[in-house]
Amino acid sequence: MRGFGDLEAVIMHRVWDHDVPVTVRELFDELARERAIAYTTVMTTMDNLHRKGWLARVKEGKAYRYTATASRDEYSARLMREALDSGGDTQAVLSHFVAQMDGEESEMLRAVVRRLAERRPQ
Amino acid sequence: MTTPALLFGYAVAVACWAPALLGRLTAGGISARLGLAAWLTAMASALAAAAVALQYLARAAVTGWSRLAEVVCRSVSGHACTATGYQGAAVEFALGAAAIVAGLAAAVLAWRYGRSVQRAQQQTRAHTDVARITGRRLPGNDDAVVLDAAQPVAYCLPSRPATIVVSSGALAVLDRGQLAAVLAHERAHLASRHHLLIAVTRGLTAAFPAVPLFARGAGQVARLAEMCADDAAARRSGRGTLVAALLTMATGAAVPAQALGASACAVTARLQRLVDDPGPARRVRYGLTLAIVTVLLALAPALVTGFAGR
Repeated sequence: MRGFGDLEAVIMHRVWDHDVPVTVRELFDELARERAIAYTTVMTTMDNLHRKGWLARVKEGKAYRYTATASRDEYSARLMREALDSGGDTQAVLSHFVAQMDGEESEMLRAVVRRLAERRPQ
Repeated sequence: MTTPALLFGYAVAVACWAPALLGRLTAGGISARLGLAAWLTAMASALAAAAVALQYLARAAVTGWSRLAEVVCRSVSGHACTATGYQGAAVEFALGAAAIVAGLAAAVLAWRYGRSVQRAQQQTRAHTDVARITGRRLPGNDDAVVLDAAQPVAYCLPSRPATIVVSSGALAVLDRGQLAAVLAHERAHLASRHHLLIAVTRGLTAAFPAVPLFARGAGQVARLAEMCADDAAARRSGRGTLVAALLTMATGAAVPAQALGASACAVTARLQRLVDDPGPARRVRYGLTLAIVTVLLALAPALVTGFAGR
């Protein structure tokens, strides 16, 4: 674990792994088994995640029960939509390893592959 | 008045004709790094010349104004106009108006540029936050996360902390060596701060959508930055592995119907230059030509100013 941002990731993944709403205490007990961590750190991080819109919470007795506002898959899908929408609204600077291709481009690409195959007959 | 006119003429000439020349010199991506330098220098050169011209114009207009005020004052008080260097009310008014219009235009362009760069930065920041929380750490790579998605996708996010995103679809099709080549390519982008070049040139495209140099420049800079990153990855992982990684990622990718037209970062051109080695003679020729063009572009605004000032 390196830094605060990564703890947010660790906690979100824990919350996603639970099917039911969890309390700070439950997550703290889980995490404390694997690493040295303070209860207040977990609480603050979950509070931040709630403030940023990642977690929803309902009060139950004295404690809050937290759930993720969207599933991991929903976030992944959203990111992929943004990442692949290079011609649309997205202006984020993402340097793709390969750009999206149209039909003509993939035809040219197949031609290159054919030339490569001819050069190395095996 | 000849200095600003010549400088502005030079800026227009570079903005209109440099794209054709540089486009031809950098098309094959021979000496990608010098090609990148040449494009960036052309843009900086045109902007610098225009900025110096604007400054001359503003200074000429302001010195004229004080004389104009003097003249108006004297004519009101009934004395004759004796101010030296004064070119007549019409010329001074025209000069003043031109300076104001040019200044306003520069302000609008700067605002458009700033807005574009800021938006891009905000979106990248937001995307990075979500990616770092949603992604799983790629084992053995502190700077890379894996996102669950069927398409083979890999890209880098320059916001701090710099993060490379690899989709689970990409992990499924790449072997270990190819994955190393992909990561080396993305790390080269991050280490060379290509995102800054791309953000700046995209901002300039937003500011000057009708000027050929800036309209084409952003795409060309992005393309050559890809090729520079390819060179870094090829040095690390070998050309063969990089070519295999490119082919795997490109052909494994689902092609959406609304895909870009002639993609600026064409994969084919990148593959061709990795596969067809141009040989040392052509490489030296292109490198030398690009270096000379770059130096000329860098010196030209100062040369024009000095020439006109004589």
